[in-house]
Amino acid sequence: MDTARYAELFLTESQDNLSAINHALLELERTPAAREPVGALFRAVHTVKGMSATMGYTVVADLSHELETVLDLVRRGERQVSATLMDTLFSAADALERAIELSVAGREDEVDAAETIAALRAAAVSPRDGSTAPAALAKPKTRKRGSGASVAAPAAITIQVTQVPDTPMPGVRAYLVLERVKKLGTVVHVAPSPETFEADTFDGCLTIGVDTGASDEEIGHAIRAAGYVADVAVTRAGAPEGGKRPAPPNGDGARLGGNVGRASELVPSRQHRHIRIDLHRLDTLMNLIGELVITRGRLQQLAMTINEPALTEAVTQTSRLVADLQDGIMTSRMVPVWQVFDRFPRVVRDAARALGKQVDFVVDGQEIELDRSLLDEIGDPIVHLLRNAIDHGLETPDERVRAGKSPTGRLTLVAARDRSAVVIRVTDDGKGIDRDRVLARAQEMGLVESTRTDLTDDEVMRLIGRPGFSTAAQVTDISGRGVGIDAVHTRVRALGGTVDMKSVKGEGTSVTVRLPVTLAIVRSLLARIGDETYAIPMTHVNETVQVERDTIRRVKGREVLVLRDDVLPVVHLRDVVRLSRRDGGGGQVVVLEVADRRAGLVVDELTGQQEIVIKPFDAVKDGLSVFSGATILGDGVPALILDVSSLF
Amino acid sequence: MSQTVLICDDAIFMRTMVGDILQQAGFEIVGEAETGVQAVEKYRQLRPDLVTMDIVMPDMGGIDAVREITKFDPQAKVLMCSAMGQQALVVEAIQAGAKDFVVKPFQPSRVLEAVQRVLG
Repeated sequence: MDTARYAELFLTESQDNLSAINHALLELERTPAAREPVGALFRAVHTVKGMSATMGYTVVADLSHELETVLDLVRRGERQVSATLMDTLFSAADALERAIELSVAGREDEVDAAETIAALRAAAVSPRDGSTAPAALAKPKTRKRGSGASVAAPAAITIQVTQVPDTPMPGVRAYLVLERVKKLGTVVHVAPSPETFEADTFDGCLTIGVDTGASDEEIGHAIRAAGYVADVAVTRAGAPEGGKRPAPPNGDGARLGGNVGRASELVPSRQHRHIRIDLHRLDTLMNLIGELVITRGRLQQLAMTINEPALTEAVTQTSRLVADLQDGIMTSRMVPVWQVFDRFPRVVRDAARALGKQVDFVVDGQEIELDRSLLDEIGDPIVHLLRNAIDHGLETPDERVRAGKSPTGRLTLVAARDRSAVVIRVTDDGKGIDRDRVLARAQEMGLVESTRTDLTDDEVMRLIGRPGFSTAAQVTDISGRGVGIDAVHTRVRALGGTVDMKSVKGEGTSVTVRLPVTLAIVRSLLARIGDETYAIPMTHVNETVQVERDTIRRVKGREVLVLRDDVLPVVHLRDVVRLSRRDGGGGQVVVLEVADRRAGLVVDELTGQQEIVIKPFDAVKDGLSVFSGATILGDGVPALILDVSSLF
Repeated sequence: MSQTVLICDDAIFMRTMVGDILQQAGFEIVGEAETGVQAVEKYRQLRPDLVTMDIVMPDMGGIDAVREITKFDPQAKVLMCSAMGQQALVVEAIQAGAKDFVVKPFQPSRVLEAVQRVLG
């Protein structure tokens, strides 16, 4: 079978099941006596087992089989849910996830499941008598008939049935044979007895004594219809020598009445309301629509130049259609954030356990939608924030009680839509950020002069986002490897978003990540410096003002702009791109806003607004940290996209 | 006219695979069910010639679904889809009225043989 076709489907569905497994495990840990999580676990593991066996992923199938065995014992109340058992189950779930990923990647031989399997087997062994559970599992629960029937009595007809070698579940198949014979008459004896059908000693040979009026032919036919029958021998009492072999040649019995239709009759009637699409296809569509948007810009410019009413109308209509198309494709790329948030409860649980903290984790806004590619990128930074909050924010239960708080810390993760942005906020009610410690550390690292103590809280918070900044007293496994908040900053900025931290000592910390809803196309303001055009994403543009040169003043050596009673720091785009400033004249100032902070950006000239398609490039890597990407404008000229948050 | 099938399994993966095997053999997949409850409902609605039934499903398991379906239609032709190690459950399903079973991992030829036995 061409299983490669199914690999993708297998992976997607296994991930769903793994997520269900983790949720159920968390639930079970909270309420060890509840039956529902065990049932859910069992079903999910069972599904994975069936799928992986079909795919030929033996290791995954073995792992899930062992896990299922333990879960079945729990389900039947033969094992108590203990902390040790939970640990075994959690690590088995992790091992299962790794095994699935490696198997799908064609690297099944790299999976090392021996340890996990050993742990699961140990958990399945009864602590009292050391007998293994699977033997009990294999025993059928209901066995109404058969007992007593194996007592030999003279029967009119003796039937000997031999199964095909390697019959799957030979015991059940034998049972099916017995059921068929029972329909023909009264079964007098059965050897071996039905209780031992499923034992290893069952060799696929079955002798049944029956009182029936059926002909040899009818008996042979009925038995063969049970499947996997190699041979049927019928002996009638009084016919001492072996009797006839009435059964039709191999396979015939089973074929009778087989109504399998032709492939040409195939009627495609399955109705789907959802289809799964390879993300690459959507990416391709997105790229194409991007090109179309660029071409539209060019078309609009040409139409304006030519100024022919019929052409202009056609172009306007095309533009509208392109906009609708763009909208449609963008929407199709949106996925709810729970697809990534789903694994966080487990992350929080593990981190809290490792650090000896008690955490009540609340997630809200799971239905908020985000572009798929953005969502994939944002997962790790959020994990970072959550771990940071548990490690550095939340106190240990003792500390909390001493501080007059409840011993269980509260950690919330909220997603919300805010205009054209999505806001993701991680809040804890821990000890907050120690301003003095941050300042001391920053001075130690030479990030601020030791004489400066007049920094605002905001400025102090921003220090934490500087590369390599970490105040963790010791490096833990959970966070504090020196890639703390600054790694989050870098990643979020690369996505065109911003990070903002607020903290009150003793009360807690909240980190807000603001992201554009979609990555690929943004409305931008175009600014010109000399011959070059730069794009400024509108998400961050507050307003634009024309200023005279003397409106910009110097305060404490820094240039500022006074705008309606507000004093804004000023940045010259010419300085940013390392060109000399122009003489005389004022210029256009673009007022930028990032996370409640504003600044004025002085440019030579503003040339308009346009939808631009972001072509990613590794700006940060190459040291040009002021640009987040590049684009091609309507007139075919390339332009760099300014990373606004880097200017603050 | 091709014969109609109702596929009951909580995994899309399994439904797709069984569906593909049967469709290629000329069957018409008239419905799919993810739970035992759905399986019973859809059986009443669609009256398919054949039902493939997973044993472990949420809501109502496959065995109870077989029991319900057989109660409604004693002639119902249900093929159990079982994983290895479920002998006892398969026996129970047969007592409940299932006609035959296949064991995962599925091989198309084995599935089709079992289907022929059930329909034959």
